[in-house]
Amino acid sequence: MNSAYVGKLMELAEKDHDVVHLLADSGTGYDEMFRKNFPDQIYNFGIAEENMVAAAAGMATVGKKPFVFTAGAFLAYRSLEFIRDDVCFQNLNVKIVGMGSGLSWSSLGPTHHTTEDLAMLRVIPNLMILSPATPKQVAECVQVAYEHEGPVYIRIGMNHEREFFDDRYALDIAKNDVIRDGQDVLVYSTGSILDEVDKACELLVQDGIIPKLVNVTCIKPFNKDELLNDIESFGSIISVEEHNINGGLGSILCETAVYNGRNVKVIPVGVEDKFAEGYGTQLIVRKNNKLDAESIYRRIKEAIHDE
Amino acid sequence: MANTKKEEQELLELRKRIFITGFKGGMAHLASCYSCLEMLYVFYVKRLLRFDPQNPKWENRDRFILSKGHAGLALYGVMEKVGLISSEQYESYLTSVSQIGGEPCMRDSEWIEATTGSLGHGLSMGLGMAMALKQNKSNSRVYVMLGDGELQEGVVWEAIMTAPSFGVDNLIAILDCNRIQKMDFVCKTIGEPKWRDKFISFGWDVIETEGHDIEEFSKSISCENTSGKPRLIIANTIKGKGVSIMENNPNWHFKLPGRKELKVFKEELGITDAELE
Repeated sequence: MNSAYVGKLMELAEKDHDVVHLLADSGTGYDEMFRKNFPDQIYNFGIAEENMVAAAAGMATVGKKPFVFTAGAFLAYRSLEFIRDDVCFQNLNVKIVGMGSGLSWSSLGPTHHTTEDLAMLRVIPNLMILSPATPKQVAECVQVAYEHEGPVYIRIGMNHEREFFDDRYALDIAKNDVIRDGQDVLVYSTGSILDEVDKACELLVQDGIIPKLVNVTCIKPFNKDELLNDIESFGSIISVEEHNINGGLGSILCETAVYNGRNVKVIPVGVEDKFAEGYGTQLIVRKNNKLDAESIYRRIKEAIHDE
Repeated sequence: MANTKKEEQELLELRKRIFITGFKGGMAHLASCYSCLEMLYVFYVKRLLRFDPQNPKWENRDRFILSKGHAGLALYGVMEKVGLISSEQYESYLTSVSQIGGEPCMRDSEWIEATTGSLGHGLSMGLGMAMALKQNKSNSRVYVMLGDGELQEGVVWEAIMTAPSFGVDNLIAILDCNRIQKMDFVCKTIGEPKWRDKFISFGWDVIETEGHDIEEFSKSISCENTSGKPRLIIANTIKGKGVSIMENNPNWHFKLPGRKELKVFKEELGITDAELE
């Protein structure tokens, strides 16, 4: 995902000298490639995220298009007030890119997990929020963010996410992507967890249950019409996210349904309002927190059984 | 050098205007406004800040950020004096049709370069502006006015630490050094701060001046910076300057006068009962 991100950013930086890449000692080999190609469009602020976010706001007032890039946890939590006051309240053209979404930093524990960022950020006015699931989607989100005049938060994973889309794919933020079409159960997913959810859906298919799987990339503004249409055909929705079950995708589905007078059951699958347990690979930590394909499959089966 | 009669008269009028507006609004950080008023006067009335009164977004303007945003009523006061905001806008302060509040806000005026209020944000935003202007090969300067209490915010030190490495000699921080924060004197809160030593050790060029002396402060702003470093101007000031009972008194950070105290304000600022109605 980092490669897709930096690759797209270099493409933009080449065309537009105002695109600047800001780091908080958070670069990788890909960023060094950016530095080699565009040495006067990359700034490392050191381990000082709040300063970086506020400086990005200052740069935007002069016409720059800063992309701020570091671990999502250090942006959404540590720099929250700076995102709110300096970027969003002033409605400045700053792109905040949080890498390591969800449980990506699985070996480092909850200080590095980004499992409450959607909840914290989506209540901030003026902020568009994008949650890509695959490398192709990351590149598309960067393009969308670039074209959008205003603050954008992009949460991206970092562990070799599987590609679901071909080269012709173009992200339309007014639409969700239907990954699988089906009629037996409705599943909504966002971000890097898509791979696990898709595998869970495959297990359902083997049981003769044909799910509809919808991938939500644009968290805010949320595409309410598509959800309301889906609700017409399904009595319940399973939401899956690598995020606390409170405040993220599941909450958005509940709010959207209820605010529009729909009576629908939402079954939230995510981190169960706790700090995620375990250490190891992302798969191990997903398993520890019942977010691997097998666990998701079981939750969906239980939900179907309960109905 | 003493300020001229004309300057003193204009500053008195500004103090009066700030007080009446704050008093009628029912809330104001008067003492903080009065400690930096001469400096704001130098920037906007004496025009040591480069700006085009007809075009708030003139590309080659200098940027001024009031990071100690609670002195917003003073900033808006000098802006009103030079016609950047209207009297109607200034007088709307804290009324049911307010067009300005207690802190500078970009939403309320195109002349505000950065929205402040939560302390510690201004220097980092100014740093970003200075970096962007450098990248654009612009000669514009970025001035950021900080309070000495504000320097307790950690992020300010992130900006102080990183700024020299970006070569932003177009960034000028002005420390309104009135030595008082909300609850007490700064030195009683954090010990002797030794700002000069701290900034020098962080790689800044530091000069010191008198913040209420128009000529001295103007000289420090005009003084060329050939160091290649960002500059700090430590401006010694008196919190509450201009009203005897408020001067250098920590009780006045966020307070309006009661009945007895009001008498002193009226006498010393030359305010009539009718003006407070």
